Amino acid sequence: MARSSGSLPRYLATRIALVIPMVWILLTVVFILMRVAPGDPVQASLGGRAPAAVIEKQRHELGFDRPLIVQYGDYLGGVLHGDFGESTSSNRTVTSVITHEGAATLELTFAAMLFALLVGLTLGVIIGRFRDTPLDVAGRLFGILTYAAPVFWVGILFQLLFVAKLHWLPSSGQADVLQDLRLHDNAHTNIYLVDAIINGDWDGFRNVCVHLVLPGLTLGLLVCGVFIRLVRVNVIQTLKHDYIEAARARGISERRVVLRHAFRNALVPVVTVVGLQAALLLSGAVLTETTFNWPGIGQALIRYLNNRDYVMVQGIVTVFALIVVAVSLIIDIVTALIDPRVRYS
Amino acid sequence: MRKAHWRAGLAVTTAAVMLGAAACGGSSSGGGSGGGGGGGSDQTIIWGSTDKPVSYDPAKAYDLPSWNVIYNVYQTLVRVNPDTLKTEPDAAQSCDKSADFKTWTCVLKDGQTFSNGDPVTAQDVKYSFDRLIKINDPSGPAGLLKATGGEGFTVEAKDAKTVVFHLKNANALWDQVIATGAGAIVDSKVFPANKVLADDKIVGSGPYELKSYTPGQTAQFVPNPKYAGDLELANGGLVIRYYQDENALKLDVEAGKVDVVYPALSPTALNELKGKSDVKEVAGPGGAIRYMVFNLKTMPGDNDAQKRAIRRAAAYLVDRNAIAQDVYQGTVDPLYSMVANGLDGHLDVYKDEFGDAPDKAKAEQELKDAGVKTPVNIQIWWTPTHYGALSGDEYTEIKRDLEGSGLFKVDLQSTEWEQYTGNCLADKCQAYQLGWFPDYPDTDDYVANFYGSASFLNNHYDNPKVDQLLKDEQGSTDANQRTKDFEDIQKDSVADAPIIPLWQGKQIAITHGTVNGLADTLKPDYIFRFWVLSKS
Amino acid sequence: MAPTGAVAPTSSVRRGRLAGLRRALAPVSEARGLPKWVLYAGLVIVLGFAVMAIFAPLISPYHFDQYLNSHGQRFPKSGAPSGAHPFGTNIMQTDVLSHIVYGSRTALEVVVIAVVISMLVGVPLGLFSGYYGGALDRVLVLIMDAMFAFPSLLLAILIAFLLRGQFTFLGAAFSGIMSAAISITVIYIPQYFRVIRNSVISVREEVYVEAARVLGAKPRTVISRYVFGNVVQNVPVIATLNAADALLTLAGLGFLGYGVQPTQAAEWGYDLQRALGEASGGVWWTSVYPGLAIVLLVAGLTLVGESLNDLLNPVLRRRQLLPVDPKAMAAEDEKVAG
Repeated sequence: MARSSGSLPRYLATRIALVIPMVWILLTVVFILMRVAPGDPVQASLGGRAPAAVIEKQRHELGFDRPLIVQYGDYLGGVLHGDFGESTSSNRTVTSVITHEGAATLELTFAAMLFALLVGLTLGVIIGRFRDTPLDVAGRLFGILTYAAPVFWVGILFQLLFVAKLHWLPSSGQADVLQDLRLHDNAHTNIYLVDAIINGDWDGFRNVCVHLVLPGLTLGLLVCGVFIRLVRVNVIQTLKHDYIEAARARGISERRVVLRHAFRNALVPVVTVVGLQAALLLSGAVLTETTFNWPGIGQALIRYLNNRDYVMVQGIVTVFALIVVAVSLIIDIVTALIDPRVRYS
Repeated sequence: MRKAHWRAGLAVTTAAVMLGAAACGGSSSGGGSGGGGGGGSDQTIIWGSTDKPVSYDPAKAYDLPSWNVIYNVYQTLVRVNPDTLKTEPDAAQSCDKSADFKTWTCVLKDGQTFSNGDPVTAQDVKYSFDRLIKINDPSGPAGLLKATGGEGFTVEAKDAKTVVFHLKNANALWDQVIATGAGAIVDSKVFPANKVLADDKIVGSGPYELKSYTPGQTAQFVPNPKYAGDLELANGGLVIRYYQDENALKLDVEAGKVDVVYPALSPTALNELKGKSDVKEVAGPGGAIRYMVFNLKTMPGDNDAQKRAIRRAAAYLVDRNAIAQDVYQGTVDPLYSMVANGLDGHLDVYKDEFGDAPDKAKAEQELKDAGVKTPVNIQIWWTPTHYGALSGDEYTEIKRDLEGSGLFKVDLQSTEWEQYTGNCLADKCQAYQLGWFPDYPDTDDYVANFYGSASFLNNHYDNPKVDQLLKDEQGSTDANQRTKDFEDIQKDSVADAPIIPLWQGKQIAITHGTVNGLADTLKPDYIFRFWVLSKS
Repeated sequence: MAPTGAVAPTSSVRRGRLAGLRRALAPVSEARGLPKWVLYAGLVIVLGFAVMAIFAPLISPYHFDQYLNSHGQRFPKSGAPSGAHPFGTNIMQTDVLSHIVYGSRTALEVVVIAVVISMLVGVPLGLFSGYYGGALDRVLVLIMDAMFAFPSLLLAILIAFLLRGQFTFLGAAFSGIMSAAISITVIYIPQYFRVIRNSVISVREEVYVEAARVLGAKPRTVISRYVFGNVVQNVPVIATLNAADALLTLAGLGFLGYGVQPTQAAEWGYDLQRALGEASGGVWWTSVYPGLAIVLLVAGLTLVGESLNDLLNPVLRRRQLLPVDPKAMAAEDEKVAG
């Protein structure tokens, strides 16, 4: 039943080559979605203020009434040059948005991932070991509840408790006004935490940390639930393997069996697990950023989408697509390196 | 041994996380209203807003959030006086018009300088207008200039101090137009002639200059040391903090992290802040209005008389007070005319004609007299985001008013703004929501855009008498004559009720602590003047 | 190594056209112990919401957009829970409990439509693509992988944005539900496609399929009789997990303003968006109850899905352990030997 296996280099080459059509498909889908829907920037800014004739003239002057295929060609040509275009609803380039807001989202997702890994992996291993006991049930319930609770609802509850009631933490933003300006003026990577360390700006570092706690926790909880469930299943599957039976038969204690033999092997697909959450993280980031006014790229996407700024939306979605494609590429490569069955024949 | 490893690892990580959290827990204060202590004129005001400005470069800005900044960073040839609503000198010492209103000559004051030291010359003025038209940005005010000045108008720099506008349209209000953000004077040595300049590089000759800027988040303004104009600054600088979520802004103003919130939060948020100490509301008259338009071609009714009756019946039934109180919680005022209250010539003609409370009997009578079968099936459109999140509630209220009488059956539809204007202004809707925001505080900016045959409404309302009145007032400089013309326009059109005015927004700002000067800038001209604000 | 206990024989399955399906779902009826209780708990929750949805007009105290009581007075705005309004009223002056009840109707309508359509599209695509292979298969895999990898909420937002107002011919209420459902459908088609296709690929190499082909069975027969029954086991699990995810996506859409409009139907995510602004003012009933409704229904669906996975997935499944009867075993051995 096993398929004939091709060679590893061949798999890698094919897999990498497939990136291009994948990205192209995503770009095209987004272009179609944005252009087929009616409306354009001229309509958006002059509609309801100027007579239809004036709007038509302006649209014509700016080329918004050219055939779609021409606009598509223009767009693809621009992308190949790295020119994603300029926003129509704000005075920024797509690249600027991606570097500034993207860095903020990176910070948020990193914090969330850290929390989710620490808590989720640990809990997942524990309850996988103690399957079908009350601990398992509690753990699974926790996992399900954190996944089922909408991330924006959790965010608001946190804000109510920690901000409005207890006044422990700030409600929004990446940093307070003065620290924000200072960190922006002295930016190196645009990731505030890193920049603060580079500048030795400990007040700024503390301030950013404090702002990062609630959003990171909220987003982290969402992903944590998924981790718990996935790791649990992996651990259960691993514990069924023959070598585990063998270890048990040799008289090794259950705890050592789990920790020494099962743990490592169960975590091997962790890269896959983490990678698979990239898409979930991006979706969750959009909602979390909106709730906490975190100046990231998810919230920027919604804003520009509402303004029908499709140049910007296309640019941001392109970046998302590239991230997603890159992550899935890495997953596939790592899986191929580990699992000899995965090949193209 | 190995067993210990993972345990130790976990312990170390936990300890690290806890240490980090403890370190982070330190600063919960800090930030907030910074700026120096000392006297009022050194203070930095922190302004929180949910605005989304498009651009600080005037060539790409036709929206109020952008103009809020442009009015303070750049000079214009003339500016609007907040009390008289007429123009007064700013960068120019005089601006005179020719008898036919087609030639305007402005002479610059001496010594005006940009914040980088470059002098302001007539060449800069010409450059500013030329590049705006050339760049022709879809989000910019090129359309406004071309519509008011006429396609192909030119600007001439006669000498270093004299600018001459050669308009194609005879426009008695050109001074109002160049007093808006469209007339901002830019430095010809810094701004490119055919491209928009990035926000953080702008240079103006106004009372403030932009010191620091995080795109879409924070902008810091300090007094312009080279400012040579006659405005006096009551503060030492201003920082704008842009918020995506008004909930966060509300929490921050409660906590004192921002001093001023403008434009105000939603009515719900305002209500919640009412009881809080240290938080105050300041209100001023606004010029933004909302109304419902009937498309005379597509609306229900077999003939003109029936259609008129249906419109009049709706006008009798609409409950403006319910909208103003229940939906908007008192942050708006009922409006009984298509001319905003506070402007020249305003009359409450809809109150005189239809009363200020719903009258079911009269509505029923109208429909009966015209032989209209009830209930009348009508489809009303509204748009979810462009006019604020409460639009849905507003039109639900209208639906309740119309259906509650038993005379109407309302089908509410909504769609996003771009599709909305594409549909409703192209004869696809029977009745629809619209709002208006004045470019400049003159009544003509209202009536000409609603009733003239060149109106953007395209609702097929044709009233030759009103057209004539519009021509008269546009060609006259006699204030009394114009006032009378405006009044006649309102009186002539109300009986047909082609549009039903609903409410006029108040300008509301929220302050934490004591912020002075807001009353001096919350005026119908919608110009937010940084220089009058001070903290104590 | 043999398991340490007798294994219960697989119960004989009735013959008939649905034999394949019955055989596939047999483990569910055999379930014992904790997974069974988890399954039941989930089913109870889901059925509870389904009952609420179907009998909404009978259960709900008021209509979801009702704002007047029997005396013609308006409901209070954001009124606290009281006798007349057990869950309070919200900012639109409508009753929160009624929104919860009617919201379950919206939720289940959207989710059922979305899951059914994506099943109807994804499963056949996966079947044929997996069985026939070739260039079409490669192209489909590429497209599906691209869509699968993309953040689902964003895709849903883009499509919901595009579909706004396109379904008005279906009538006001249904158009919103339809556009939300379609935008969610698109996300899940790749999931069914992927899983079914992978199953088909592994099954089609089986000896009995080969034998059927050799005997001259038409592809359609091969697929429907031999392949389908063996791959369809995956579908119920994915369907319930998809339903749970679809519900969260719908809530997300509603929260961001791209879901069903308030005049068309009650929707929990939209209610949460309206409740946000007043939550910090102490008005908790408008956000807690809709949020709890979402959590409960999603958790219920997930419990069902997870326990089905536990029961049907041969890797995770635990067979029931019966006590050993030495005499019966000996008799069995003799029968086999003799």
